[in-house]
Amino acid sequence: MSVQQATLQSLKAGRRALWRQRLAENWRVFRGNLLGKIGLSLLVMFGLMAGLSYIPPLIDPMYHPMTGVDPLVVKSTGPSLTHWLGTDFMGRDILSQLLAGARVAFMVGVSAAFMSVVLGTAVGMTAGYLGKTTDTLLMRLADMIMVLPTLLVVLMLAALFGQLSIWMIVLMIALFRWPGVSRVIRAQTLSLKQRPFIDAARVAGASHTRIIFRHIMPNVLPLAFLYMTFRVTSAIVIEAGLAFLGFGDPGTVSWGMMLQWVWKTGHMFTAPYWLLPPGICISLITLSFYMLGRAMDEVLDPRLRDETQAG
Amino acid sequence: MKQQTILEVKDLTKYFVVGRSIVSSGEVVKAVDGLSFDLFQGETLSFVGESGCGKSTTGRLVLRLIEATRGTVSYKGRDVAKLSGGELRKLRREMQIIFQDPWSSLNPRLTVGQIIGEGLRRNKELSQAERKRRVLEMMETVGLRPEQYGRHPHEFSGGQRQRLGIARALIVGPKLVVADEPLSALDVSVQAQVVNLLARLKREMGLSYLFISHDLAVVEHISDRIAVMYLGKLMELASKQAIYSGPRHPYTQALFSAAPTAEVGRPADRVILSGDVPSPLNPPPGCRFHTRCPHAQDDCRRLEPEFRPLESGHWVACHHPLARG
Repeated sequence: MSVQQATLQSLKAGRRALWRQRLAENWRVFRGNLLGKIGLSLLVMFGLMAGLSYIPPLIDPMYHPMTGVDPLVVKSTGPSLTHWLGTDFMGRDILSQLLAGARVAFMVGVSAAFMSVVLGTAVGMTAGYLGKTTDTLLMRLADMIMVLPTLLVVLMLAALFGQLSIWMIVLMIALFRWPGVSRVIRAQTLSLKQRPFIDAARVAGASHTRIIFRHIMPNVLPLAFLYMTFRVTSAIVIEAGLAFLGFGDPGTVSWGMMLQWVWKTGHMFTAPYWLLPPGICISLITLSFYMLGRAMDEVLDPRLRDETQAG
Repeated sequence: MKQQTILEVKDLTKYFVVGRSIVSSGEVVKAVDGLSFDLFQGETLSFVGESGCGKSTTGRLVLRLIEATRGTVSYKGRDVAKLSGGELRKLRREMQIIFQDPWSSLNPRLTVGQIIGEGLRRNKELSQAERKRRVLEMMETVGLRPEQYGRHPHEFSGGQRQRLGIARALIVGPKLVVADEPLSALDVSVQAQVVNLLARLKREMGLSYLFISHDLAVVEHISDRIAVMYLGKLMELASKQAIYSGPRHPYTQALFSAAPTAEVGRPADRVILSGDVPSPLNPPPGCRFHTRCPHAQDDCRRLEPEFRPLESGHWVACHHPLARG
């Protein structure tokens, strides 16, 4: 018995070592990728910004991004010692707004992407595994949603129902952005379904549920994860667009919202310290998620890796 | 010696429809067309034939991995096609399959322990520890080391992966194992090890094999009886001795004379076939082999020969079987 336990111990140790080894290998490939390194560094920076956004309101209530107003300031002012990036038209600190915007961008991007990927993966696997009529129905539905211009539809809905809360916006983005994911996952499922190891699972007595969750899902998840990084980008852009056009959540300070305030108060060409930071941040965060996605593409798909090395 | 039949196949047929679309009803590929044979307890029945003749489809039909178009497969007197999902899962503890390709037949995301243990999951009486003990025991039986329990398939060589596939099939204690070209993806030196493993396991566990192969040297080594297929039909079925000493069907003769031999000075009595295998989309009328048969006569082109016993246990589908010896 003690021998067996020793074996089990060594098995566990071996497994941990294996995980470490594989992680190290993936990390090595990732690090060899310039895009990935830039993307990740930028994301770490934005992550720090989001984390730091909790600090300014603690220093002084006037640094609260939404409600904090500097009593000494009555109009938009440029950078100074008390307001490093200046203030907006009613004396709110732009830096703290920018930091809060990073938090919102992560929240919107990641949660909308996560929801649409979960939905897309579920639909894609169901369609691919069941096939026949289910497949046709689900995929035609996906086609119909895919051709809708998301921003326009969400704009119309916002106009119809009045101001949408940030979570409603997230939900809308998720509901309109799953079809692309579901197509890819369906294709992958179709190919996996034909592999002999699925037959082997059936012969071993596995139920359909078990085959889907145990044998197909782990093999499509890396792909779903990859798609998530690309979806984050589109979610952030859509939210920023909505907010800039004045249909954002008025209770949230997002970068799109900041741009809207700049524009609405007529500071577009007079206050670059106010206009540029949110604009640059939106561009950089979408770019960094995209670069991260491309790098992960390479980590997950060895064929891409060879191509890059050869070229 | 009267043997007990465990598998009885009658008129087994599988047609695949290809190219079906809105504008066309598609064409029918007769992959397996009216196969009938018995498999006895404890024997190895080999299916041989060129690629595309329906050997693998037959194996999959027997396990009901695909549904037959027509015909019955009875395992110990029970019609496999009539079983419900739950009954079928239960039956699959007795019928297992070893796959051809040891790369695509193992889920890359699972560990060795999970792959082999999959079949035991349905056995609810087994505790976690007991399940693990059995998996480790089975790994030892097929020649895998216990420390490989937590590894993933990609860390193994082809031969080891095939051992893994064998362990997965045998852990549920099957009586009948369909081996679908289990050696064709392996190196020759590894093939020998795996053949010997299969032979040993058969002795130790009292298995019956339905062995699908195109490698006649392996077939000669492992078989008790041999079934020869051509374009979805059985041409000849007899004991290994009968087939090797005196095939009665011209196709069998041609097929076996094409196999290379290591004997020096053996007379080169090769039967060379001309032409290609006709397409299963449009098999020739009459005897399917008549387009390439050196002995074909008029009736071969018109009438389909019946699969009949020439003598006890020696079945042939030919109007003009070759003389004995």
